Amino acid sequence: MVTPLTFARGDDNLIDALRSGHPGAAAAFYDQHAAAIRRTLQSVLGADAEIPDLLQEVFIRAIDRIGELQQLEQVRSWLTTIAVFTARAHIRRQARRKWLFLFSPDQTRQNHRDPTSSDALLALRETYRILDKIPANERMTFVLRFVEGMTLPEAAQACGVSLATFKRRLSRAEKRFLREVRERPLLEQWLEEGTRWSLQKQS
Amino acid sequence: MEPAEAKLIRAGKKIRGALDDGGSAAEELRAERNRLVETITMRNGRAIRGRGWSLLPGRGIFVGAGAAIAVGAAVLLWLQIPISFRIAGGALAGAGGVPGRTGDVVEADEGASTALQFSEGSSIVLDKGSRLRVLSTESNGARVLIESGRADIAIAHRGTRKARWRFEAGPVAIAVTGTKFRVDWNPKDLTFGLELREGSVIVSGDCLPGPRTVTGGGSLRLSCLPSGASRTVAAATPAPGEDEMEAEAVEGPARVAAPARRETKLAHVDGETWQALVAAGHYGDGLRAAERVGFARVCRTAAAVELLALADAARLSGRTARAVEALTVLRQRFPGSLHASTAAFALGRVAYERRGDYTEAARWFATYLDEQPSGPLMGDAVGRLMEARHRAGERAAARRDAERYLQRFPEGPYAGTARAIMFE
Repeated sequence: MVTPLTFARGDDNLIDALRSGHPGAAAAFYDQHAAAIRRTLQSVLGADAEIPDLLQEVFIRAIDRIGELQQLEQVRSWLTTIAVFTARAHIRRQARRKWLFLFSPDQTRQNHRDPTSSDALLALRETYRILDKIPANERMTFVLRFVEGMTLPEAAQACGVSLATFKRRLSRAEKRFLREVRERPLLEQWLEEGTRWSLQKQS
Repeated sequence: MEPAEAKLIRAGKKIRGALDDGGSAAEELRAERNRLVETITMRNGRAIRGRGWSLLPGRGIFVGAGAAIAVGAAVLLWLQIPISFRIAGGALAGAGGVPGRTGDVVEADEGASTALQFSEGSSIVLDKGSRLRVLSTESNGARVLIESGRADIAIAHRGTRKARWRFEAGPVAIAVTGTKFRVDWNPKDLTFGLELREGSVIVSGDCLPGPRTVTGGGSLRLSCLPSGASRTVAAATPAPGEDEMEAEAVEGPARVAAPARRETKLAHVDGETWQALVAAGHYGDGLRAAERVGFARVCRTAAAVELLALADAARLSGRTARAVEALTVLRQRFPGSLHASTAAFALGRVAYERRGDYTEAARWFATYLDEQPSGPLMGDAVGRLMEARHRAGERAAARRDAERYLQRFPEGPYAGTARAIMFE
């Protein structure tokens, strides 16, 4: 009788199996971490239609570089760092595309899944329009700290920068975000109270 | 906290809440999982197919040189390919059996033995009712964990390439070069047996004060009960100076050589603290350094986080009893702390993975959950508790754990196992 890998737990065994190129190990590795990594990508990018491709990219990069993983306990934060760098590269690609083709902001976000008319999704769209205006490095700090709810040291590690650098970037991102939000009173109200965004917008 | 930061944390939570897309996320994750497995499988296939180079004659020196390089590269690549294996026997009987995968549990039925045939010629015959896992494979060997029962092993010599095989059974590790032998491991009473037919092996682990070389037809029997309980070694010629060990029985023309000390490793230990060595990843050296200072003294004086690191070092270097000692002292010295609960979780892992004592493992995972119902290891603890109870035969309790796990982590790493247990 052969029982599949999913019955034989143990991170050290899993990493060994990954290093030997076992596709079952790739699936088990994905099962353990995909939900969290998808969530991080989503926090950074919003409702972006390319998230499934980026998720693949993160895992393929991780599996290719599994030999670099030194401490098994660090596997989640190591993956998060790969996700952050992948997302940042995606944001920069999008920005270059926008600049090259002179797309309007609405056109550049056509890749995003079309939000329905609910309050929350309208508010989300506005939020990520603001985040699109913030430089990628600063946007990362803001999202990891406030949307993902990471501590400052965790978020700094995920961004691969010192705590001091992280704090400087975060401070700039906070100021930019709050300034933009103040110009959108309905969004500000939703973020603070969760009022009926769409109804107020219509009135 | 500054008002702006509080406001932003509140706003961030709202944004995160609005981003959650529940069911569609789970569906997308499943689809992407299949895509990833396909990609990895295709890439592996391409890597193997890439070894087949076609040499075209008469295309000049550049083609010739290119072909020579290609052949060289192909040979090098071939030399790096991990060995593969097939499993045959019992319910798997058939033309050549089924391909084996690292990490899977291979269990011989009660009625018949099961054979693992490796691509470089080595083989393992698993006695009926026994269980093992091939943890990893390399180009010239593999790492195999014998979970319980008896296995007859024949390692093939492969030209001038040195075979690298490692077998583990509970707390005992066996390094092999080229040989035939039988291993017997009973995780219930922690007894280990080795009968050597040809060649030599080096046996190490926390049942022994140091590594031992067993050669030519020798045998070794160990009881790996924790310190305090009786611990014996049966060997024809016990090595001189091996304290706390007594000869108990003689089996065959046994010959146990003097322990193979790792003197080269010890050189750089001098002058470094055990903490520094453990932090640098030199687990065995770190542990030995702690033992030179006095292991009990270290356990009495070290900080909780240091004790966890020391226990990890002991566990990773196969010294299970030391790991248990450090973790037990930690729980006594720092009761009620998060570190004490983490130690309970680690004790569960040791019982499960190193000793095969699933009842004990379940007790420790349950202790962790009692102490830290929302702790950082909660999901893992519920999953492991479920598996330990299932293996201990506590099926009703395992089903309750599976249900509890699926309610909280429907897409978690133990979800597949939990569903299998629920539908048994």
